Amino acid sequence: MTDDSAALWVNGSVARLQGMPDDERLLDTLRWRLGLKGTKEGCRTGDCGACTVLVDGKSTLSCLTLTREVEGGSVTTIDGASDDPELKRVSAAFTAAEALQCGYCTPGFVVALAGLLKERGRSAPVEELMDGLQGNLCRCTGYAAIARAVALAREDAP
Amino acid sequence: MNAAPRSDLAVKLAGAAVYGMDLDLPGMLWAALVPAPVAHGRIRSVDLAPARALPGVVAVGAEDLASLLPRGGGDPDRPIFPTGEVAYRNQPLAAVAAPSLREARRAAAAVRVDVEPLPALIDIETAFPDWPDAHAPPSPYVIAHVHARHGDVAAAFDTADRVVEETYRTASVHQVALEPHACVATVTGDRWYVQTCTQTPFGVREDVATLLGLPEESVVVEGTWVGGGFGGKGSSLLEPFALLLSRASRRPVRLASDYRQEFELGRTTLPAVIRLATAVKDSHIVGRRVRLLLDVGSSLPGRDFATGYSIGFLLGPYRTSTFEVEGYGIRTNKPPFGPHRAPFAPQCAFALESHLDEVGRTVGLDPDAFRAAHLWREGDTTALGQRVGPFGLATALEQARALARRWRAAAAPGHGVGIGLGFWSTSTGAGGEVRLVLTPTVLRIVQAEREIGSGSVLRGLAAVAERVFALPPDRVRVEYANTAEAPFDSGVFGSRTLGALGRAIVEAGEKMLGTLAERLGAPGPVRLVVEGDELVVLSGSIRRPVRDLLNSEERTPGLVATGRHYAKSNTIDEQRVVTGTFYPYTDFTGAAHVAEVSVDRETGAVRVERYAAFQDAGTVVDLPTARAQIEGGIAMGLGIALTEEAVWSDDGRFQNAHLLDYRIPTLGEVPPPEVTFVEGFPGAGPFGAKGLGEPPIIPVPATIAAAVRAASGAHVTDLPISAERVARALKLL
Repeated sequence: MTDDSAALWVNGSVARLQGMPDDERLLDTLRWRLGLKGTKEGCRTGDCGACTVLVDGKSTLSCLTLTREVEGGSVTTIDGASDDPELKRVSAAFTAAEALQCGYCTPGFVVALAGLLKERGRSAPVEELMDGLQGNLCRCTGYAAIARAVALAREDAP
Repeated sequence: MNAAPRSDLAVKLAGAAVYGMDLDLPGMLWAALVPAPVAHGRIRSVDLAPARALPGVVAVGAEDLASLLPRGGGDPDRPIFPTGEVAYRNQPLAAVAAPSLREARRAAAAVRVDVEPLPALIDIETAFPDWPDAHAPPSPYVIAHVHARHGDVAAAFDTADRVVEETYRTASVHQVALEPHACVATVTGDRWYVQTCTQTPFGVREDVATLLGLPEESVVVEGTWVGGGFGGKGSSLLEPFALLLSRASRRPVRLASDYRQEFELGRTTLPAVIRLATAVKDSHIVGRRVRLLLDVGSSLPGRDFATGYSIGFLLGPYRTSTFEVEGYGIRTNKPPFGPHRAPFAPQCAFALESHLDEVGRTVGLDPDAFRAAHLWREGDTTALGQRVGPFGLATALEQARALARRWRAAAAPGHGVGIGLGFWSTSTGAGGEVRLVLTPTVLRIVQAEREIGSGSVLRGLAAVAERVFALPPDRVRVEYANTAEAPFDSGVFGSRTLGALGRAIVEAGEKMLGTLAERLGAPGPVRLVVEGDELVVLSGSIRRPVRDLLNSEERTPGLVATGRHYAKSNTIDEQRVVTGTFYPYTDFTGAAHVAEVSVDRETGAVRVERYAAFQDAGTVVDLPTARAQIEGGIAMGLGIALTEEAVWSDDGRFQNAHLLDYRIPTLGEVPPPEVTFVEGFPGAGPFGAKGLGEPPIIPVPATIAAAVRAASGAHVTDLPISAERVARALKLL
């Protein structure tokens, strides 16, 4: 007998999922089952980074992750930005640098950078943080304002 | 001017902005399109029965239009579903909706399509084998022909010391807005309502009404947040199908592209071949010939704007007295040509500027000095006889040359520095209107456009009103309304938003201040000040709160004033036109760019080390958003220059229709550019502003080409300047 239920933590709350097919992507679970539309759907092939979320604190492409793979795990999305210190910090840096235009890639960038700060620490070198964002595409800003936001998000930022 | 933060930062950073892709209505069905299996073919049958047999599926095809639409259909030249021939691969032949996307896709796959394949035309050069020697080709593929000349061109070429003749080829490039097209349609009674991520709500309304044969006022378009446009979201694409399915199912219907469809169905820049010839005598250019073959995809005859508009960019921003220019729009079995940020101008600037470099090298002229000597100044006329207005490109070039000299002096071995120029004309489009509403505490700007990202709506329009009324940013609110409620505007495109709607705000503002002065009984001009929560009208020693100046009908909405701006263009000299439609320019702007690149001597790979832009801006209205346009435009231009190329197979397949193989610039490939604005050459926008959305992309491929040649000697005549093309030019391959 197959069990089609699943549970995971999303932004600090338990999400109990019923009738969940094994091949459902985390991106679709978040957006269409849980209604958390902050995580964006871009390419669905892992090339653009717009769907980036944190799974147990690590940057993860939700379009290439099956929800089954993260059962029992803890997922953080942009919708939970107000509760997470690193997300709040990055969000403030993006505001100060006006590091967005259309904003569609923004949740992915913010979450990915927050993940890098958690993983490497707030004083990680700018180059290392920028390198960690190579998988996120932005078509509007030319990345210049995003680079300014990255510098502001670091601990020893002026 | 003072800068206030963009008002969309918070909502976007909270993940709370609802884009087209995020629309989610109760009871909504999901839709899928049935794609044509070949690029060209005769449709024998499209059998929807197998799809309809599946549970919960609604399907619509050509034969259903008579029963679904009040007039049985729309424009016969632009059928929603083709019934005779397939024009391009993946052209929608039918549409289906079902309770889930999975079921909709299964239903679309179940539709039985029978199409007899016909030979497809994909490569434009095969359509016109005698090109470039033949004129007036007797070809059914040529759907546009433009031809103009001035002076004795034959004599100039016959008596020249040297003639330099070259051929350039440019690739098809895609807008790659990260958000795919997406909409939800809800048809109730005779109200055809669609929510969609669009740059042109009124444009979609007009398109949908034409395509479905509906009165415009029964179509209501509601813009959502837009995840990037760049020209790709400028007319209807998915909306008519979603509306038909909603009519048939009596449910809201969601239709969105996946990213492969985003590439395959997109209307964008297609390939071109450009032939440039220049006659030189006594170290002066005495004559020019320009010929263009432009792929316009399955555009309809008479609907090709691209050929007649773009070709002027091949003559460039230079005084050109003796010339002949001829362009052909070639119909192929690809989706119709569509606008991509400054449509086709970067490609034209690349060819022309690279050619001028070649001419300079051939006859021993310094190309930068030649450009400086021949650039338009205010009062000059264009090749087609238009008068040039205030134009800052000569000043921009002077500054670019000074910087290039410094960079060249400091360049590492193997590095090269190049300069490229581009010009543009802003404020195209029919025009626009705004409604200002003054309440006792805030000024509202009610208008039709959603913010697509540039900031031209939420920040640009607010900045104009702040300046007209001398109000702080927290007392000015830009509001959006749908096409049933907002005053008309032709759309966010053509670098026109700030210019057109900004001018409309200035006009409405002056009317409103006049009304306030009258009601105050003031002898002179009035101004508004903030006192506590209240807005107060002042003139000399007279002062009254706005609240006290509103009559009883104005208490709830506020004091209303409307303004409008419709772009005027000067005209071209028709005596220079032999045939076809050439489009006049409205407002002249330009940019000079400088790049330093390094070239890998083994692989040919190009790395951009430094980049700078000098942009004629008229007057900068809001510095952070202006700078952001230049930074973003440069990055997008680097894609056209170096990596972006849609690869079409001989049978009309978009072969690299995903973001791994269609490579847009990534974060490590774009050095933060130095941006300088050249002011003092006012444009037609508010306070002399000029549009900035498109101009910064135009000089980029030309600039990179010049830098690559300076660094390595490689003269690459095809876009993109891929490692492979550089390696071939250097004979490494």
